Amino acid sequence: MASNSFQGEFDAVVIGAGNGGLTAAATLAGKGMKTLLLEQHNLPGGFATSFVRGRFEFEPSLHEISDFGPFEDKGNVRKLLEDRIGLDLEWIRVPEAYRLIIPNEIDGRLDAVMPFGIEEFISKLEGYVPGSRPSVTRFIDLCTEVVNALGYIADSKGNADKKILMDRYSNFLKTAPYSLQDVLDSLKMPYRAQKIVTAYWCYIGQGVDDMSFTIFGAMFQRYLTKAAYLPKYRSHGYSSALDIKIRELGGEIQYNTNVEKILVENGKVVGVETSSGDKIKTNYVVSNASPHIVYNQLIHPKTEVPAVAYKTCNARKVGFSAFVVYLGLDKSPEELGINEYSYFIYSTPDTNDIYKGFNTLARPIGQAAVCLNNAIPDCSPAGTAILSITTLFSGDCWAGVEPKDYFNVKNRITEEVIDEFEKALGIKIRDSIEEIEAATPATFANYTRAFNGSIYGYEPVPWDSILPRLMCLNDEKYIKGLEFAGGFAVRCHGYSSSLQSGELAGLLSYKSFKEAKSI
Amino acid sequence: MKNEKLNIKIRPLGFLDLLAFKKLIPTREKMIACAPATPVDAIPPVNILAGRLHPETQYLEVSEVTQDTPSARTIRLITDKASATKELAMFRPGQYLSFSFEIEDASVTRPYSISSSPAEALKGFYEVTIKKNEGGFVTNYIWENWKLGTKVICSGPQGHFYYDALRDSRKIVGIAGGCGITPFRSMAKSVLDGSLDVELTIFYGSNIINDVIYQKELKHFEEASNGRIKVINVLAGEDAGDCERGFITAELIKKYVDPAECSFFICGPQAMYDFVGKELGTLDIRSKFIRWELFGEIKNVSSTNGFPQNMAGRSFNMTVHMGSTVNVIPALSGESLLVAMERAKLSPPSICRSGVCGYCRSLLVKGDVFIPESGDGRRQADKQFGYIHPCSSFPVSDLEIIVPRKR
Repeated sequence: MASNSFQGEFDAVVIGAGNGGLTAAATLAGKGMKTLLLEQHNLPGGFATSFVRGRFEFEPSLHEISDFGPFEDKGNVRKLLEDRIGLDLEWIRVPEAYRLIIPNEIDGRLDAVMPFGIEEFISKLEGYVPGSRPSVTRFIDLCTEVVNALGYIADSKGNADKKILMDRYSNFLKTAPYSLQDVLDSLKMPYRAQKIVTAYWCYIGQGVDDMSFTIFGAMFQRYLTKAAYLPKYRSHGYSSALDIKIRELGGEIQYNTNVEKILVENGKVVGVETSSGDKIKTNYVVSNASPHIVYNQLIHPKTEVPAVAYKTCNARKVGFSAFVVYLGLDKSPEELGINEYSYFIYSTPDTNDIYKGFNTLARPIGQAAVCLNNAIPDCSPAGTAILSITTLFSGDCWAGVEPKDYFNVKNRITEEVIDEFEKALGIKIRDSIEEIEAATPATFANYTRAFNGSIYGYEPVPWDSILPRLMCLNDEKYIKGLEFAGGFAVRCHGYSSSLQSGELAGLLSYKSFKEAKSI
Repeated sequence: MKNEKLNIKIRPLGFLDLLAFKKLIPTREKMIACAPATPVDAIPPVNILAGRLHPETQYLEVSEVTQDTPSARTIRLITDKASATKELAMFRPGQYLSFSFEIEDASVTRPYSISSSPAEALKGFYEVTIKKNEGGFVTNYIWENWKLGTKVICSGPQGHFYYDALRDSRKIVGIAGGCGITPFRSMAKSVLDGSLDVELTIFYGSNIINDVIYQKELKHFEEASNGRIKVINVLAGEDAGDCERGFITAELIKKYVDPAECSFFICGPQAMYDFVGKELGTLDIRSKFIRWELFGEIKNVSSTNGFPQNMAGRSFNMTVHMGSTVNVIPALSGESLLVAMERAKLSPPSICRSGVCGYCRSLLVKGDVFIPESGDGRRQADKQFGYIHPCSSFPVSDLEIIVPRKR
């Protein structure tokens, strides 16, 4: 075997340096545990990275980080990264919540630019949809209760007092079993207001009829109250800062190192083996790789995987992958007529139709676009602009694509996505393309090795949303010493959830580690 | 209004909602209990597709060697039947492969453009055309060792030097020097087979007519193309036939095409880039219409703009952390850190060797390096945190770096 392999012992091994793996490793190393972070790619970040083409450095997947907040009023993610991990980076506030364009909405084109801030949002919406104020106010109050309740549950570390929950957070409990659409209907919110309020739905990657209200409500409220932020030098900026911090804290990082086996004996983690010949003893693994990969591919021997672990995987649905077009344009956003940072463009009104559309290779009918310069003006040279347009696909609908046809499929969808954007805004951008790149589900699978190229974790349906996952945290530990971080973990997916889930996994591992030591 | 207690009811009777909440966990338990306890052994389709498009390693075998000119050979490669490689990865005309070599116990890589077409890859072969350099460590090795049946290892297709219909003009001007003709052969073949819908005009600079690679073949392409392919040979060192004499100047380009309606693709040696860059500069072309192929390692770094002259010809100590090992090796100021590591037989990772792809990205812990501007393809944050690309970094002090192992 290679002579530069590791044969020693670590207190904890973290598999994967994505959002969750990075914060897990920083948390473990920060607690003084001898920590090894292994990443199959040659960069940190997973989806939180960047790439350079010509004069442009592109952000591959991040649109914005929610629950971040300004320095004076930090949200949970800023508290984690700055106060607990100690990063010192420049973060930039995104100018508006979003511009939503639904050209063929029932009753005519819907085109609304929505601000952050509860009162600002409600007032602007009242302007677009007179009479919406009462129901939207009630909706946001309800979302606030969700956030407070989740905060209480998180603080109670799995020992929430049922009486307190019933007394203070009864609306939270009552809405937890329902979908976003159920809750909107019960509030009798005007149709067009519903459409504007739910624009963020595609960030969760599920139609409003199936999406857990809890998960949407929490996200939406954090967006309104804490706005959204971006790292100055793309996600790679904070991923690299976390890499440096982990090393400063005494952690070891090995890139290009693929974990092939998690060794388990008698239901307990005992080690890890890698493609580089490393044989590492450890009793604590935090996996940023999904349970699907861990239980189906990594646990060794296979007889150590309990039946219930397979059942839990199979009961859930792995979320969508994405298709992203990255454009470096040789005109400024003003010259091009791109005035907002964030766009949601839905070519058909019904989110369930769009959701279904994500399951075919037909022309995409829903997209989220961001023009980075409208948040970070100097992110590209003067007189240029960076635009990225994202649509979603299930991994399975790419199953029939043969490599010989791949570039044609990719080029066709790229052009369709650009076309939809141009039509919705009534502008022309294709004459200004200086750099162009498209990432398909295969691209994401290639760089991150995510299961079926998924950019999300398991779909957060009501029975598998953050609340039931948190409530079952202790019951669903199938292998001792193994915790999960990232989009497939208890906090569900998204940048802010994944970052926070890594800390939680790190703290849980540390707790077990300390308990084992004290015995 | 503000103080009015919110009381949400989803169903007509609120207590039913609480009942639904109480059922949340039992529902979850039921969903899990009802699911099959079978492992998902099959690799998911997208991961399979990714593996076919982007194989980490391709195991190939030489099936034919053609002597193009006294100093250039085209080598045909097929899959090594005894290996795990069952098909050749698809590519776009203009992409390259990074080949791995074990020469005198040292692991090194070299990038070579694919000179055959994607349609030929589907038929089962790639071709690369390699020019023998005087004193070239690797080309000499290939010359002596790559024979019929030789097993060869390379990466999946790499690079971004290819036509994009949304970005580029349909009128492509290829400017090639020496072995830089190879990607244009792939493009020309694709124009002929109909898979690449462009008009291709190639200006090919050589010294003398006997240096012109694919001379007859390119002529044949031109004749068979119905006017879609035009090849202009430009000889610096002699007059010959219908070749142009001199260099590829702006004047010469204008003689054959209207620069205002073309996309320019340039591939050749460093000296040609300097010359052609200046010539194109006089034509006032938007940068989106000019695309440069990477030219590999920077030679004569000490003559590069900004190189600290007192550092020329110096040797330093470089401490290299790789995996569990630490080695102190010599590093010359005139050679990249990558070459220093290869000489020391450390097997560092590399693909493009031009500072762009970032595959060799390493953390500079101590010391200073010189990075020529033209070879600095780093991410902004990497500049902030001291990450460097060893293939385009040159030592100007003793230094210490952390390098990832090869995958």
